[in-house]
Amino acid sequence: MLGYYLRLAFKSFRRTPGLTALMVGAIAFGIAACIVTLTVYHTMSGNPIWWKNDVLYAVTMDSWGPRTPWSAEHPTLPPDQLTYQDAAYLYGSNIPRRKALLVLMSGALSGAPGQPIPRSVLTQATTADFFHMFEVPFEYGGPWSAAADRGPEPVIVLSRRENDKLFGGADSVGRTILWNNLSFRIVGVLDHWHPQPKFYNLTGGGDGNFGKPEAPFVPFRWDEVLHRWPAGSYDCWGSGQVDTYQELIGSECVWITLWVELSGTAQRDRFLDFMNAYWAQQRTQGRFQRPRNNHLWKVSQWLKIHDVIDSDSTLLMRLAFAFLAVCLINTVGLLLAKFLRGAPVTGVRRALGASRRQIFAQHLVEVALLALVGSALGLALAVLGLKGVQAMYAASGGDYGAAAHFDPRGVLWALALAGVSTLIAGLYPAWRIGRLSPAVYLKSQ
Amino acid sequence: MQLNVRPVLSALARNRTGAILVALEIAIALAVMVNATWMVAQRLHDIRQPTGIDQRDIFEFAVAGFSTQFDYGSSQREDLAYLRSLPGVIAATATSAIPLTAFGQGDGIRRRPSELSHQFWVRSMQIDAEGLKTLGVHIVAGRNFTATEVQPFSPHFSHLASEVLVTQSFARKLFPHGNALGKSIYGSTDKPMTIIGITSNFFGSVIDTPSYDGLLYPQEPGGYGDYICLVRTQPGKAAALMRTAERHLATANPNRVIFDAHVLEYYKGQLDAQNRNMVIFLSTVTALILAVTCLGIFGLTAFNVSTRTKQIGTMRAVGARRRDVVSYFLTENAFVLFAGILLGCILALGVGSWLSSAYALPRLDPMYLALGMVILAAIGQLAAWHPARRAAAVPPSVATQTV
Repeated sequence: MLGYYLRLAFKSFRRTPGLTALMVGAIAFGIAACIVTLTVYHTMSGNPIWWKNDVLYAVTMDSWGPRTPWSAEHPTLPPDQLTYQDAAYLYGSNIPRRKALLVLMSGALSGAPGQPIPRSVLTQATTADFFHMFEVPFEYGGPWSAAADRGPEPVIVLSRRENDKLFGGADSVGRTILWNNLSFRIVGVLDHWHPQPKFYNLTGGGDGNFGKPEAPFVPFRWDEVLHRWPAGSYDCWGSGQVDTYQELIGSECVWITLWVELSGTAQRDRFLDFMNAYWAQQRTQGRFQRPRNNHLWKVSQWLKIHDVIDSDSTLLMRLAFAFLAVCLINTVGLLLAKFLRGAPVTGVRRALGASRRQIFAQHLVEVALLALVGSALGLALAVLGLKGVQAMYAASGGDYGAAAHFDPRGVLWALALAGVSTLIAGLYPAWRIGRLSPAVYLKSQ
Repeated sequence: MQLNVRPVLSALARNRTGAILVALEIAIALAVMVNATWMVAQRLHDIRQPTGIDQRDIFEFAVAGFSTQFDYGSSQREDLAYLRSLPGVIAATATSAIPLTAFGQGDGIRRRPSELSHQFWVRSMQIDAEGLKTLGVHIVAGRNFTATEVQPFSPHFSHLASEVLVTQSFARKLFPHGNALGKSIYGSTDKPMTIIGITSNFFGSVIDTPSYDGLLYPQEPGGYGDYICLVRTQPGKAAALMRTAERHLATANPNRVIFDAHVLEYYKGQLDAQNRNMVIFLSTVTALILAVTCLGIFGLTAFNVSTRTKQIGTMRAVGARRRDVVSYFLTENAFVLFAGILLGCILALGVGSWLSSAYALPRLDPMYLALGMVILAAIGQLAAWHPARRAAAVPPSVATQTV
């Protein structure tokens, strides 16, 4: 029966090629627009380390001044970074399984075959656990040791891109390189790693939320040793003088990010208790004058409070759905017209004994075929569209050029949505044609 | 012929579904078109907003030393002397921020030393006496810094100057009811700073959206671990001079790194990128929606014509001219258009008010709605014109044939 219906559908398409092309085209354009915007949106809203969402936490405490909240826009949020003294104290706890301090430093690389003259690089100063807790892949070597953290030892981890540039992609582990004119030993080279969004560093500075990870990596304590002013964002309040690095360290300025890995709610609660006790103790000494707002943020929450998805993308996605709606309404109208035009034939089939169910099924097969062809064409259009979007972002140097990469999961979603909605759109015309009384159409017009 | 609308209406009533669907399409198309055009207009306005500086003829590069012992003061003095000696350079200054980028600082400014809760956030820059000339910014009231007022480099972060310049926009924000010139303001300390001059508006460093609020300190930069050289050149020479300067300076002093060299026009392009992309997206989708809607109108009319061949033949046979047949179908289409546009009006206003509350967009200008209605009505009739003409070609003899 299905084969017969398919043959009928092909026949019907051939009878009205223009109308069929119109419908397929409309469906294809609607689907393409949805796939493109959904893909961009999906990438932006993705959690690149979702499998560790329940164990990784960004740590914040409200150390801001008593008069105004840190963020006027979201007054209930504590500052998204920590003061040096709080970060150092909380990092000292051995409750978390793993923990990492993060700060961006300015630096310059030289002394490699590919880099005779110093080149400025934004450097991620962090602690050894960073690589373990965020499951950073290595091509050569590995993370530095905990002892190197304490030293700090002059050890450095390069990104793959950096290693390609400096050593032509060769295994450079064990070689030395000049970082800020100091001799550093390369202990590891990362494999390709580009989490999107760059969930661990959303506090500003660097290459933006969708840019490449800041690299190279050096032990966090080099920041203290070299007295480098933070190269990422930092916020200060109050009227205290913050003139030197020493003063910055003792100040209420927030400029350090702390991530902890806590397995299970018990460990999580214990760490929160630890934070609360520290908060209470510091409060007696005149700090933390705002209400207690100690918070551990899951990655998903961290992405949310940083408004990673820009409002333009949300808007475009809604616009794409309005477009799909117009395309589908169009399809319903055209299908209805087409089916009604074929009503005399349907009348004959009904008179010859086809049931309403069969007429309905026959027309639905035709709709399904349309949806299939339209979706396939839409997919092809979407690939072109995404290429266009990528080119556009690349040309403008925007930081989420890579956000428009072809993501199979997002595409499947969009395709399923489009296919199903086209089928639903076809339900009414197919039903309507099945309800026609055959007698009217057996008469001459 | 005096067109009788009764038969048109009764024909419409007989084929409700198709007409309702097309009207719905028209409504959505109108709502999308009007609001998207309004948004595009806003974005274009943002792109065209003057930066207040001469970004085509200014280049910039950053300088950072490797060690804590690096002498930022003498380094920048040497760099500036070299840059100013280059033929084709009009002016050069060392500063702490790159205009049109996120690279820079902000300060909370108070009007009274005790006033802790009421701060005015503003983007600031450290420049020297040649700073304004370099940027292409002029003094509106008061005077520029003198060379002696420029504080020499110190490895400290706070501002040492007791004189400042503010932009017109920021002056008005600080003192809406009086003259800002000569007034004292306060930064993070209780040391007063006197406003000695008011400059024309310009974009300094940018967080989120560009602002004309700006504050200028007379100070040699470097306290944050780097300084920026800004160089104004004769028209069209910025790119070439930038390469010359970069080549020379990269090797002149081995204890530092030169980075991020760009003509400021490059940053202007980056700043506009999102707006420009949005303009392209919005126009494309709007055009597609209009196209699909036209196809819908075309399809409906073509269907009506093809199912009423015999009726048209009868009309012709009893004396209707070709023109009358065309106007019959156009009238029918006009009713559908009218209903759709009416519904679309309500939808457009609804979407407009939602956009203005959810995305802080200015309220929809009714002119856009009026224009959108006219345009949609016109192209809607145009889309129906071709099938209507085909209807007129039906010969009267059809009336007597059996199908």
